[in-house]
Amino acid sequence: MDEALRAVADPTRRAILRLVRDGERPAGEIAQQFPSMTRPAVSQHLRVLTDAGLIEVRPEGNKRLYRLRPEGFRDATEFLEEMWTDSLVRLKIAAEREEWPERARAAKGKKR
Amino acid sequence: MARARTGGQGEEAVTDRNTGVVEQTVRIGARPETVWRFWTDPERMREWWGATADLDPAPGGVCRVEMTHGAVMEGEFVELVPYERLVFTFGWEPHEGGPDVPPGSSRVEVTLVPDAGDTIMTLRHTGLPASDAGRHDEGWAEHLPDLVAAAGRAG
Repeated sequence: MDEALRAVADPTRRAILRLVRDGERPAGEIAQQFPSMTRPAVSQHLRVLTDAGLIEVRPEGNKRLYRLRPEGFRDATEFLEEMWTDSLVRLKIAAEREEWPERARAAKGKKR
Repeated sequence: MARARTGGQGEEAVTDRNTGVVEQTVRIGARPETVWRFWTDPERMREWWGATADLDPAPGGVCRVEMTHGAVMEGEFVELVPYERLVFTFGWEPHEGGPDVPPGSSRVEVTLVPDAGDTIMTLRHTGLPASDAGRHDEGWAEHLPDLVAAAGRAG
């Protein structure tokens, strides 16, 4: 999950995601879009995106075709959702504990 | 469409996966003044979020939280309306094998509303991957609506 977040942090990788979002593109065509970069450098970015589950690749003949894997993006959001859910429950418990003595006294007072 | 997830103690966690905005609402049995301290006092923040917290709760002030597993959240306070509203940027410090959203790349807004002695706390985390709200980042603003649409189709 963290991998997806790391993967999208890079501007080149975001550019690659834009290239492949509408359909499959061969690796060579993707590399051509980045004339200032070496092929291995582009391949490395493709690997990071693939490992993160944001794009997927399939071979066709001697080509490698890349396309977007949209479900990978939902995973990224779900990771942070879980982090917040867990953390906010701890915050709730801690904050309530802080006011507990005072609330307990108030409740006792009401009963009398 | 997963739209709501409700916890067991009156807290509500809602994430709209169409937009990727994380939004969660929790009822807390404490006053907003108390809850506020858990966002602005490092000692108290450690009780629920990180292993250490370095907080300067003023606009432009640091908001840095080191998680127990070593990742570091690096943010900056943007807006503070005492006991009502708090906004900070959210990113991960580069970390080997860890999460790495660059500082400034997403944003967390916390609102506190008093309700019968309790606090209704809402947290909104925007600018996330698959979010349509990351307009402070031109890269995201440019392509996210399409990615979100694509994610919706895949669902």
